[in-house]
Amino acid sequence: MSIDLDRCTGCEACVVACHAENNLPVSSPDQAEKGRTAHWIRVDRYYEGEFPDVKVKYRPVLCQQCDNAPCEPVCPTYATYHNAEGLNVQVYNRCVGTFYCANNCPYSVRFFNWFAPEWPEPLQLQHNPDVAIRPAGVMEKCTFCVQRIQRGKRDAVVENRPLADGEIQPACVQSCPAEAMVFGDLNDPESRVSKLAGSGRSTQLLGELGTKPKVFYLERAK
Amino acid sequence: MAASVPELLPYAKIREDLFRPLSSGSSRYWITVFAALAVVVLGMAAWGIQVRDGMGVTGLNRPVFWGFYIVDFVFWIGISHAGTLISAILRLTDAAWRKPVTRAAEAITVFCLMIGGMFPIIHLGRSWLFFWLIPYPNPRMLWPNFRSPLLWDLVAILTYVTGSVIYLYLPLIPDMAQLAEHNVPWRRKLYRILSLGWTGSDREWHALERAMKLMACIILAVAVSVHTVVSWDFAMSIAPMWHSTIFGPYFVSGAIFSGIAALLLVLGILRRALGLELYLTKHHFDNLSKLLLLMSLLWFYFTFAEYQTVWYGNEPSEMAVFAGRIRGLYAPYFWIMVVCNFVVPFVLLGIRKLRTISTAMISSVCVIIGMWLERYIIVVPTLGNPRMNTASGVYTATWIEFAITAATFAGMIVLYLLFSKLFPIIAVWEFKPHAVEED
Amino acid sequence: MYLIADFREQPKLEAAILALKAAGITADDMDVFSEEPVELRRGILDRPSRMSLVSVLGAIATGGLATVGLYAAQQSYRLVTGGMPIFSFWGTGVISYEATMLGAVLATFGWFLWESGLLRKRDKNIPVPTVLPGVMCLRVRCFDPHVTRARQILDSAGATDIARKEVA
Repeated sequence: MSIDLDRCTGCEACVVACHAENNLPVSSPDQAEKGRTAHWIRVDRYYEGEFPDVKVKYRPVLCQQCDNAPCEPVCPTYATYHNAEGLNVQVYNRCVGTFYCANNCPYSVRFFNWFAPEWPEPLQLQHNPDVAIRPAGVMEKCTFCVQRIQRGKRDAVVENRPLADGEIQPACVQSCPAEAMVFGDLNDPESRVSKLAGSGRSTQLLGELGTKPKVFYLERAK
Repeated sequence: MAASVPELLPYAKIREDLFRPLSSGSSRYWITVFAALAVVVLGMAAWGIQVRDGMGVTGLNRPVFWGFYIVDFVFWIGISHAGTLISAILRLTDAAWRKPVTRAAEAITVFCLMIGGMFPIIHLGRSWLFFWLIPYPNPRMLWPNFRSPLLWDLVAILTYVTGSVIYLYLPLIPDMAQLAEHNVPWRRKLYRILSLGWTGSDREWHALERAMKLMACIILAVAVSVHTVVSWDFAMSIAPMWHSTIFGPYFVSGAIFSGIAALLLVLGILRRALGLELYLTKHHFDNLSKLLLLMSLLWFYFTFAEYQTVWYGNEPSEMAVFAGRIRGLYAPYFWIMVVCNFVVPFVLLGIRKLRTISTAMISSVCVIIGMWLERYIIVVPTLGNPRMNTASGVYTATWIEFAITAATFAGMIVLYLLFSKLFPIIAVWEFKPHAVEED
Repeated sequence: MYLIADFREQPKLEAAILALKAAGITADDMDVFSEEPVELRRGILDRPSRMSLVSVLGAIATGGLATVGLYAAQQSYRLVTGGMPIFSFWGTGVISYEATMLGAVLATFGWFLWESGLLRKRDKNIPVPTVLPGVMCLRVRCFDPHVTRARQILDSAGATDIARKEVA
């Protein structure tokens, strides 16, 4: 995935779309104050300068699906591991809730189900049937909308055609009004995301840690 | 008769003194046991609430995913190193003053391991599925991830528990044989079964001594590895100020430190409660105090080295944690820890005139508090100041966590009191190593 | 036929044992019972032991078994985590080490139970002396031609209370 920080307006449509697509539980002000909200994608704001010359920078942060994910080796039950497609998968059924993966994630993109999830009426009618509702005690995080990836692949097989570049779009990518996010196959050198990732504006968040994240942030070089 | 050297007391008197606590039981004893049991039940109720309602009833949050439970876990496993140091090292070096102290120390080890070993289950989001960490053949053909430090924890602690129980049991066998003539029928049966038909033949004694010498070496190797592995729960992660190579030796020395403090405290209480003033003399407390002082200096050295290197390296994500610990939110805990772990023992135990049994016990209590705070300082500030500082947070424990923590202390008291009523807390046969002529 | 003699002084006990050995009674036929371990001088009543060897063998066996088991488990469940190799000794070496130690512990304890005789089926007919504090009991197994000689030795060595027990 590539995210163009020069286009991002910080509108947080991606956050809302993710909530809707992935059945994220709704928190309460009480719990939010305790630090228990879950936003698989969040927009970090960085303020520079003094009033009236304040500049705000926005950075949407989601699970970077690292190739050398620090969260993977530490899970004792293999609830998180790297699948053949290169996704860092989270298997809800296998998670016993040791919290180790969340401690080891340098991007703080992992969220825990502190209670059984609740939705104030009538939000529970809006649930996406393709996505599991996680029980209490289980860790969760962005999956690159794996349900959309699976659907896209299945459709391609059924219709007997190859997947087109840009055909699969996670909810956040689809909803961005500034079209700042691009999703595709990094293994395909012709895909749009590969070209953007190889461009001169491409950076990685905390890349120096060696996690090999697969989210590339495009920003003007200083 | 030189009463200052207890080994020269008549054998009959020694046996009477050391076996008396097994039969007499004052009302003070039973009140303590039941009060402690009440606290344990309260803790179990708190855990029940947590299992029913979810981990949200604790104070844990994002990013502080580990709190009291992990602090308690490291704390109790740390204290369990008491038995190993005293029993094993002093046995191997044949230090005579260890004799009345070994069984009390080994009992501390076993019970602390049992209590500490509960926390990897208590802290789980889905505790009832803890057995998924155990490698057992199952129809889904799933194995746990052996690369995870938590699996290393499991194996290490299981090994240590097995070794410690055997190490506690071996020297208990001859005493069981002696007690097998006890007057209460159910005790007679218990002791006879536990004595395995020990007759006291020289073959048995030789085998026992050889086994104990081997076990001392093995248990030493295991103990060092156990707390190193526990420390690697933190050091193997890349969280700032956790990913440090010093954690292995730091935790092992800290464990021995807190273990000696616990042992000192327990012996001080036993001495008064069971009337063992003749057997646990000032000499023993003096030696233990010197060991405590030594470990305090070692603790200070490791802590200083760790913080000095972080400060000098000036790496931003580590400095955020450092600032939080020294000057920021966690500063009160940090400085209380330094006072409790270093200043108090240094003053009270370093100055010869001040080193008495009472000041040793005060120092021990301070060290136990200080070491609990040290674990807290290690776990919480790092998690509260993650690399992405937009995710930083503060942790406030709830009554659930306090209740469970209190229950573990109470549980330790119950287990230890019951143990002292069932088994002699000082190994009678070890106490008199040579057959002395009766007058 | 068993002779049971009580001794209160260690040098006398040692002298008696040496004299009995000179008279042809082997160390296997002699047992010393006491309430605390008696440290006899080397060469008097040595009991060769294989405990260290068994301990080491147990350690190696369990450690090896654990490592092989780890390898088999990792290979049968080939999930990639964080770029680590499927099987790396360094990733799971701790478990191999702990298993080695566990093997040593269990082997030591098991062999102790065997070598001490605690686990072996006991012949109920062999008399076991009740030991009083401070007393060392020497039990000698001997047959008719040697009995009187043995009694003489025990007497002259200064034993108190020599009892003669027949095997039923």
